[in-house]
Amino acid sequence: MITALLYLALALQNVSAEGAQHMQAGVEAHKQGKFDVAIAEFRKATQTDPNLAEAYLDLGEVLQQTHDYKDAVTALKKAVELNPDLDPAHLQLGFALLQQGYAEEAIPHLERVHAVAALGIAQLETGRYEAAVANFSAALAANPGNSDLLYYLGRASGLLSKRSIDSLMEADPDSARAHEAMGENYYVLRQMPQAEKEYGAALQQRPDLPGLHLEMGMVYAAAGQLDKAEDAFRAEAKLEPGSAEAAYRLGDVLLQEGKTREALPELRRANELQPDMPETLYSLGKAASLEGDAALAEKSWLRVIEMEKNTALAAQSHFGLAALYRKEGKTSQAQQQMQEFQKLQSTIGPPRSE
Amino acid sequence: MNRLLNRRDFLRLGMLAGTTPLAPFASRFALPATASPIFEAKSLKGVDFILRNSPTRKKFLIETMPGGVAMLDYNNDGLLDLFFVNGGAVSEATHGPENFERSDTRYWNRLYRQNRDGSFTDVTQAAGLSKAGNGNYGMGVAIGDYDNDGYPDIFVTSYGRNVLYHNNGDGTFTDVTAKAGVAGAGWSVSAGFLDYDNDGHLDLFVTRYMEWDADHNKICGGDWHTYCPPGVFPATTCLLYRNRGDGTFEDVSEKSGISAKKGRALGVAFADYDGDGFTDIFVSNDGMQQYLFHNNGDGTFTECALESGAALTNDGKGLSGMGIAFQDYDNDGKPDMIVTVLPREVYALFHNDGGGAFSYQSLEAGLGSLTSLSSGWGVGLEDFDNDGWKDLFVAQSHVLDNVEQIDASLHYKELPFLALNRNGRFERGDSGVTTPLAARGATFGDINNDGKIDVVLTTLGGPPVLLLNHCENGNHFLSITLRGTRSNRDGYGARVSVNGQTRFATSAGSYCSADDKRLHFGLADAKTATIEIRWPSGTHQTLKNVPADQFLEVREPEHS
Repeated sequence: MITALLYLALALQNVSAEGAQHMQAGVEAHKQGKFDVAIAEFRKATQTDPNLAEAYLDLGEVLQQTHDYKDAVTALKKAVELNPDLDPAHLQLGFALLQQGYAEEAIPHLERVHAVAALGIAQLETGRYEAAVANFSAALAANPGNSDLLYYLGRASGLLSKRSIDSLMEADPDSARAHEAMGENYYVLRQMPQAEKEYGAALQQRPDLPGLHLEMGMVYAAAGQLDKAEDAFRAEAKLEPGSAEAAYRLGDVLLQEGKTREALPELRRANELQPDMPETLYSLGKAASLEGDAALAEKSWLRVIEMEKNTALAAQSHFGLAALYRKEGKTSQAQQQMQEFQKLQSTIGPPRSE
Repeated sequence: MNRLLNRRDFLRLGMLAGTTPLAPFASRFALPATASPIFEAKSLKGVDFILRNSPTRKKFLIETMPGGVAMLDYNNDGLLDLFFVNGGAVSEATHGPENFERSDTRYWNRLYRQNRDGSFTDVTQAAGLSKAGNGNYGMGVAIGDYDNDGYPDIFVTSYGRNVLYHNNGDGTFTDVTAKAGVAGAGWSVSAGFLDYDNDGHLDLFVTRYMEWDADHNKICGGDWHTYCPPGVFPATTCLLYRNRGDGTFEDVSEKSGISAKKGRALGVAFADYDGDGFTDIFVSNDGMQQYLFHNNGDGTFTECALESGAALTNDGKGLSGMGIAFQDYDNDGKPDMIVTVLPREVYALFHNDGGGAFSYQSLEAGLGSLTSLSSGWGVGLEDFDNDGWKDLFVAQSHVLDNVEQIDASLHYKELPFLALNRNGRFERGDSGVTTPLAARGATFGDINNDGKIDVVLTTLGGPPVLLLNHCENGNHFLSITLRGTRSNRDGYGARVSVNGQTRFATSAGSYCSADDKRLHFGLADAKTATIEIRWPSGTHQTLKNVPADQFLEVREPEHS
């Protein structure tokens, strides 16, 4: 009820004595949580001083708090009508309208007061996904990590993406991009034969499209066809020699195939292209360890631990280091790493196979 | 958090939406075979056994777990016979104490005697093996001559009570469970005979899966109605029985240290991994770390898998351990372990590096490419093409009978997996099976005595499948039957080397199953062999210039 207190002072300038009394009584009642009394007092204030916008604002706010949105909207609309410059009334009206599902109507009120989070929700509900994404991003910048905002941003982004893809399908369903988009969908649905088919069609049209070979490689990898995945990742790495992901994927699949000697330079390259990527560093450590480069393995895994601290990758790095030190006869260091591994297992749970 | 996201931005967020998609799928993407089939899938003439697992909508977990099969020569006529463990009747109304109607002939365990013409005759009733016990839902089988009378005895595990059948030597068996004291309780799965204290009498190890009963069953998977993962149920302990040598056993689970570790054990296999002359025990656990029980030589064991590098993958991940093979795959004289698991894992190969250490070498051995799509149960490391390298065979099928509904990229029924060993690296072979199976148990042995190792599989709800080895490459072989005198009569626990290959004498391993106890060696083009045996008694024996292509019985010298 900060609003009421703030505007009470302003309102008192033109308000009748009786109206001021009711306003004061309403504020006090609200402070004590006596919402019914507050509503009655604010109503009396609107009757005593029917042109007092602040009285309608306070009434609308308390009505909102008691979930009487319909009456709140009526009161807040009156407040805005009486004083179109009363921003708190616009804000509350925007909230109340949104709460009642009148997102379209809420937008101008929320826009006026730059209530970006609420505005984003209204835009999301009215199909203005691009604007919603921008507003949620702005809101998140002010409230990093807010779970509601993250959810809404994800939802808006997803819907925006879907609409773009729908447009793509409608405009050019046989284009490489349309096949690529279909491939991505099938991949997420784990329908690999269909994903392979779609990516194959895309590649037939545009074999030089960055990312396509990579995505095809991931389909093959998920299907356990590591030799084909290797070929696809090689094609991507050739097409995009500056892509850290292509180098990482190629290195990783080579590792899974047991081709550690070939994996090592690819993972080194990925790490050079984009340093401090935990996944790359972990795999680099693994390849180095298997190839007998204990120093590189140790360095890579220690860096993962430094960055990740208490994630599954950190646990795996401790486990790798324990094995490495055990092999080198560094028993106490091996035990220490194993203890760290076990400690992390007990806090984050045992690492699971993919 | 933002920093993490930024560092990983290049991992194509679009591709990561929703799930971690490393979903394997089987037949449609199956790689082409590299060679003509080694096996021919055959029905077993005269064998009418159906493995009755009795699946219900209640998804009692026991339904998806049986059942074992054994190759044994119960009447010593030189022909391998077959013993099958059956499940039992389960209905949606089943509740504790459970009654599985094992007296109905459909739910009997079965013994089939092999005839001279390769056909089989059901001798279950005549042999006295028809009474499995209505409270027992059958799981596995172990074979060993526990009383050293020259006839193989049968131990059957169950959810319920386990049964030890003594072979009377006249074609009949007697249930001696009560006298022997090996009934156990709870949910037993795989078992095996071993002589852990080298006293010449076979002891008995039994894995137990979890604390479970019909009244406390759970259904998982939401609307999909699936069997629950093992972690949903409490872990339990395994059992170790010491053979007193008088027909009775002592439960030494606690005294030996075995019961100090709770797990979710499915498979068990034995070998002396550190060459100290005492048989060690490897236990595959489902959904957690594996256990390696080192035999301290004083009647106790120390679980040391984590310190030895045999507990987890090299990423520190647990395994859905089911079946096990514990033999030397790379001919370095030291036994290695292969553990079969579920999809999204890879069959785990723990290489014995010596000095009591193991390293996870699935990827180096080629199993990463070959098995990331597979669900494995029974497993064997056997030299199917007699080239001197042990190959890998796995009975496969997903644990969930409705897995396709949940994940279209997985399959309940799968083809068996054969990988040929090429100097320590595995390459895909053709099992000769063209119809996917819900396979579980697998036993290995030369069923037709032609010098080549055959396979018999059990399938849930179906008949067993014989995979007859018809590999014709001119390679030679040697089959050795050990005859212990100071050691246990079966020679279990002996380390036998032939022309640089090593086998550890045992019939245990695989999943719920027992193999032909004869030790088979492929000799490639060698026409003679040098045999070196280290008996459990400590006796060393060497035989030189032994002609190839024969079935040889080697008797342990009675005096060292």
